[in-house]
Amino acid sequence: MTGVRLLLHALALCAAGGLLGLAGNSVTPKPAPFGEPVTSTAEAPGGMCQIQGLQAAIPRISVEEATPLCVACSALFVDARTAAEYEAGHITGAIHIAPGDPVDPVLWRLGVYKTVVVYDRDPNCSLADQVAKTLLQHGVQDARVLTGAWPAWTAAGAPGASGTCGLCGTPPAKGSP
Amino acid sequence: MRRATVLLARLALAAIFLYAAATKLPDMAAFAKDVANYRLLPGPLVPFAAAVVVGIELVVGLALVTGLWARAAALVASGMLVLFVAGLSQALLRGIDLRCGCFGGDEAADWWTVLRDVAMLVPALVVLFTPVPGPPRDDRELSAHLGRMSTKY
Repeated sequence: MTGVRLLLHALALCAAGGLLGLAGNSVTPKPAPFGEPVTSTAEAPGGMCQIQGLQAAIPRISVEEATPLCVACSALFVDARTAAEYEAGHITGAIHIAPGDPVDPVLWRLGVYKTVVVYDRDPNCSLADQVAKTLLQHGVQDARVLTGAWPAWTAAGAPGASGTCGLCGTPPAKGSP
Repeated sequence: MRRATVLLARLALAAIFLYAAATKLPDMAAFAKDVANYRLLPGPLVPFAAAVVVGIELVVGLALVTGLWARAAALVASGMLVLFVAGLSQALLRGIDLRCGCFGGDEAADWWTVLRDVAMLVPALVVLFTPVPGPPRDDRELSAHLGRMSTKY
């Protein structure tokens, strides 16, 4: 079989398969909805960072679970968005660590808390996942990613603040409060 | 020996593709959602892409089973597997959590899934690149073939 003939046959198989698939879709019990856009689970309203029925690589925590931890200051929140986004608005008490930022200067603070909750504004939580992974590699025991990210947090009316990260500095000198 | 190897590779690949199509057909809507979760295509194109993928899997599987245009089917299968590997890899590298959608169900996508697709390329490439002599097409070829056979045995 020459190369050209092989390619023609392959194209014919693709065309036949394509037509068969398009025609066959309508006779299946649950057809794919032609004419309606199908968006990813992450893009669906309220579905950010969460794929139903699938355990994420980094443990997740919902806004409902995380809000009491924020109010009681029993968890440290880490904002993985850009510095500008952080300054415009962030979870009260959150510190700012973007992917690639050194975490050593704030490790002392992370170690104080039992749980660290990382969030971003990315539909896939990929920024938060990267930061959470880095924190776990640096010895943080319980790092979780906030399901729904910053948009879900603000939509729920949970505590927020704005301004630069005053808590991101070096540890306080011995003897200071 | 070579003929047996190609036959085995062809039937194994056919079984994989037919099984993949059969597991997706009952719930094409779920497969469309799986395709959307790769975040590669605009939403309106996703249902069409899902249907086309399943249709091609079915046709490729049938072609491989029957042996009709088997090398062309192996070429299409190889192309599809390369696309699957690329799609899975980009999703994993972007940190997207998703079901692979490979054989229906809730199987999560991970690097083992990528490796499995790479492994499936082996039988596809065997069928594609191993020429198997076909049956004699005319009297001259038949005579030559019989001559070779008599010399051999």
